[in-house]
Amino acid sequence: MEIGGSSESPPETKKSKSKTPRKSKDAQLLKQKSPAEFFADNKNIAGFDNPGKCLYTTVRELVENALDSAESISELPVIEITIEEIGRSKFNSMIGLADYERVDAELYDDFETAKAREKRLAKEARLQEIQAKNAALGKKAKAPTSMKSIKSREASYYRVTCKDNGRGMPHDDIPNMFGRVLSGTKYGLKQTRGKFGLGAKMALIWSKMSTGLPIEILSSMKGQNYSSFCRLDIDINKNIPHIHVHEKRENEERWHGAEIQIVIEGNWTTYRSKILHYMRQMAVITPYAQFLFKFLSESPDKNVTVRFARRTDVMPPAPLETKYHPSAVDLLLIKRLIAETSKQNLLQFLQHEFVNVGKSHAERLIGEMGPDFGPKMPVKSLTSQQIVRIHQLFRQAKFDDPSGDCLSPAGEYNLRLGIIKELHPDMVATHSGSAQVFEGHPFIVEAGLSLGGKDVKQGLNIFRFANRIPLLFEQGADVVTRTAVKRINWNSYKINQTQDKIGVFVSIVSTKIPFKGTGKEYIGDDISEISSAVKTAIQQCCVQLKSKIVKRIQAREQQERKRSLNKYIPNATGAIYEILKEMSRSHASKKRRSEDKDAELLKQVSDKIVTEETLREKLAQHVEQVDYEMALEYATQTGVNEEPREDIYIPPLVAEYNFTEFHSPVFVFRLVH
Amino acid sequence: MADKKKRRRAATDSDSESDPLQFKSKLKPDSTILQTLKALKSSAATSSAAGKPVALSDLNLPTACREVSDLPLTSVQSSIESVALSLAHSILSGNGFSFSVPSRAAANQLYVPELDRIVLKDKSSARPFANVSSVRKATITTRIIQLIHQLCLKNIHVTKRDLFYTDVKLFQDQSQSDAILDDVSCILGCTRSSLNVVAAEKGVVVGRLIFSDNGDMIDCTKMGIGGKAIPPNIDRVGDMQSDALFILLVEKDAAYMRLAEDRFYNRFPCIIVTAKGQPDVATRLFLRKMKMELKLPVLALVDSDPYGLKILSVYGCGSKNMSYDSANLTTPDIKWLGVRPSDLDKYKIPEQCRLPMTEQDIKTGKDLLEEDFVKKNPGWVEELNLMVKSKQKAEIQALSSFGFQYLTEVYLPLKLQQKDWL
Repeated sequence: MEIGGSSESPPETKKSKSKTPRKSKDAQLLKQKSPAEFFADNKNIAGFDNPGKCLYTTVRELVENALDSAESISELPVIEITIEEIGRSKFNSMIGLADYERVDAELYDDFETAKAREKRLAKEARLQEIQAKNAALGKKAKAPTSMKSIKSREASYYRVTCKDNGRGMPHDDIPNMFGRVLSGTKYGLKQTRGKFGLGAKMALIWSKMSTGLPIEILSSMKGQNYSSFCRLDIDINKNIPHIHVHEKRENEERWHGAEIQIVIEGNWTTYRSKILHYMRQMAVITPYAQFLFKFLSESPDKNVTVRFARRTDVMPPAPLETKYHPSAVDLLLIKRLIAETSKQNLLQFLQHEFVNVGKSHAERLIGEMGPDFGPKMPVKSLTSQQIVRIHQLFRQAKFDDPSGDCLSPAGEYNLRLGIIKELHPDMVATHSGSAQVFEGHPFIVEAGLSLGGKDVKQGLNIFRFANRIPLLFEQGADVVTRTAVKRINWNSYKINQTQDKIGVFVSIVSTKIPFKGTGKEYIGDDISEISSAVKTAIQQCCVQLKSKIVKRIQAREQQERKRSLNKYIPNATGAIYEILKEMSRSHASKKRRSEDKDAELLKQVSDKIVTEETLREKLAQHVEQVDYEMALEYATQTGVNEEPREDIYIPPLVAEYNFTEFHSPVFVFRLVH
Repeated sequence: MADKKKRRRAATDSDSESDPLQFKSKLKPDSTILQTLKALKSSAATSSAAGKPVALSDLNLPTACREVSDLPLTSVQSSIESVALSLAHSILSGNGFSFSVPSRAAANQLYVPELDRIVLKDKSSARPFANVSSVRKATITTRIIQLIHQLCLKNIHVTKRDLFYTDVKLFQDQSQSDAILDDVSCILGCTRSSLNVVAAEKGVVVGRLIFSDNGDMIDCTKMGIGGKAIPPNIDRVGDMQSDALFILLVEKDAAYMRLAEDRFYNRFPCIIVTAKGQPDVATRLFLRKMKMELKLPVLALVDSDPYGLKILSVYGCGSKNMSYDSANLTTPDIKWLGVRPSDLDKYKIPEQCRLPMTEQDIKTGKDLLEEDFVKKNPGWVEELNLMVKSKQKAEIQALSSFGFQYLTEVYLPLKLQQKDWL
């Protein structure tokens, strides 16, 4: 693969880096870049923008690889992630560098000049004075403001370890799987978690750039009586692995899976919350996995250990690899398919390399292509012009939409469990849409909606998932955010957009997620198919919740009715009595138009037989009665109401039994001995 | 000359520079224009004399309708008292109490083409005290009734704001007490003015009109540029005299000021009225009184947007909120003089002075096309269709692009000369 070749590339090799500025004639030279070099230069497109983000992306790549690996053998994932902070001196000793003390203090950025020192001391003295004064005045003693720690621009290093119970890797393939960029097992058309198929390789490039330390891999496959250990780094210029150690080790407990250890520069303080959010959201969308996240620091008080327990053993089926839909291919892709196909003639090629093209349909297509084409013509002999013609026809002709069978959505059950498990909401609703199509790629939108819960802030909390991985960045422009904020009329579902704790979960799976931007962190709002599917899915959840909310409001009204009615009694009776009093006064003086009943009432008022108190009591009695009647009615209407029960998942204590597995793309058959 | 220069400066290219002048040259001497106006006046006088006012009861409509009338203070008082007595009886017999309030919702409104105004049908809804959803309104209603009872006893007028402040804690928000006040008018079957509650002064009038306000004679030609504020209660107004040929209804304060400062009413004898946007009750009552007593034609100058036409409709056939009193509040036969959508091209108003209509504007425009009071006038339908199709709107001030005085010196005289009203 050839990428770049532009004149702005840095000097060809890092080793021959010369201090002199690049000479003009150098710029004329045609240079080539290895893929590894390209990604090293443009690491931001894979999510390695700054040390903090690098740490985040490394964690995420490792976790996603681990999940994929465990799911591929239908094993319930158990994943352990450990981030270990490494101090400077420890790091130096790791790379065999002696610690150097600062000799020339002024050389450093955080050096404090005499003037600045004077200023700081004066400021501190002033502050102390003020505090003393405040204390003397008996004012509430504010906690002494901690002096802003002198900012250190020193890099911090972390060892990231990820251990899974997945498939493991074949002994001989390990070097190439880690040490060669753009070589992988995940190419092909199917729903995958990975963003670029770069995975751990990008992390390795970053470690090489920041620490120079190699990656360590321990892996074992099922049924192997040994485990493979490999320590390697990558030769960025040649895009080949550079192996330090590659050996077989004992594997007594028959462990299978992979453990990957890498040391990189990072920034835990700024990306702490992002990493924890990521883990939490991952736990929401994969409730069948068990995660153990540990952060180990040099000072034990900063340590973090979070355990995301498994709530279910129902796993979504592994996504299937599918063929391309004719409307989703471009010229290059057709050429590649022709090069790769095992089919001999054009008819077979059309029939077998694409979905939704049957034999008769393929024949009709060939007939439509023109006289140069025939069903029996060898497919490898097609000229470029002929391929263009095929491409044109694919664009114009009508094909059935691809089905969503090849997709593997999280499933309503899992989404619901995940939400309940991690957020503990008061209410939750989920909806799974049917498969739809955008540019020849099928997609499925699932949504969940929760109200209330712990650690949820007021207002909209949006959780986005694409192909079952959480998206955390660039939330503002995302189709889900836009839809939830702008296109859903929350009020009509009795949900208060600003006051209620609303959790919106949308998971989109597709063979190709139409990401926007370089970071692949959000899905654009300009695709009407997706935005309308998202809107419908959220609305469906809203509809489900509405009836529950209405019931709850009714129940609350039920409790508060008497109180809110009684509140107004004095106002109402006071006003009526005031009129009666005025009337009785003028009535007494004028003796005018006296109907019996009214005159009697007015007389009672003037004789103080009927007072405001009387009216008040009578009205209160009436309210009492109405309240009783309505409570009775409410009770008969609703009956004995019980919340629907959620299935609980009890993990088995002993899961050890012998079985033989028969694998198929859609299921695993276990024969228990 | 000064304004010619101004015009030249405002004009960008030579084409549009000549246009305003070309329109000015079309103007005939004022005497000719006055002749047409006199004809207009006499025809208006005869038509209003010939057409006897039709009462709602004469029409035999299929649905029963509700109308209120001006009641003297004593009968307002007695109807309040009978309401209070029935409430007290109901409470004492242990049934709580409830109001039957005429519904003022859109579904309960009816446009009557014969009357050319909106009337209220007779649907009403119960407002029981012992219900969580209506307890608040029921309580506020009793309180308002009591306050009005006091006004009746003392025979004084208060403003809506006064009323609100007598019990802020209960009313919470003036819009709530205002709405209930209208409900009370409906319950008692009288106009809002007969409840002795008025709104603050909003409308102003200037021009060839003399009337008495609470006994003082007011000459509206001698009220300076600002004009005379329209008295909030119409009972104070009487003895209207005028030598005007027409009444000019202006939507905007700015256009009103231009007309007043240029003493437009001295060049063409007229009365100029504005309510500065949506008209209040007092202005509508005042306009109706002028029209009825002086028998003058009414010409309207509003913005060329859906809201301009809406304001026109409120003057003409009433608002939905106050439709129970539409008989007293509406002024029949208002002519739409300008600024009409067709004027934008006719007077070559430059593009930069026109505004694109928003989604909401277009929706309002389309809704208006469905309204009966628009449909009855084919000219209006045509203009509105043009507006919705061109998706452009313009304010009266768009005419200022040809000079600030273009409105008074060219546009209005030319419109009057050409009898260009609908």
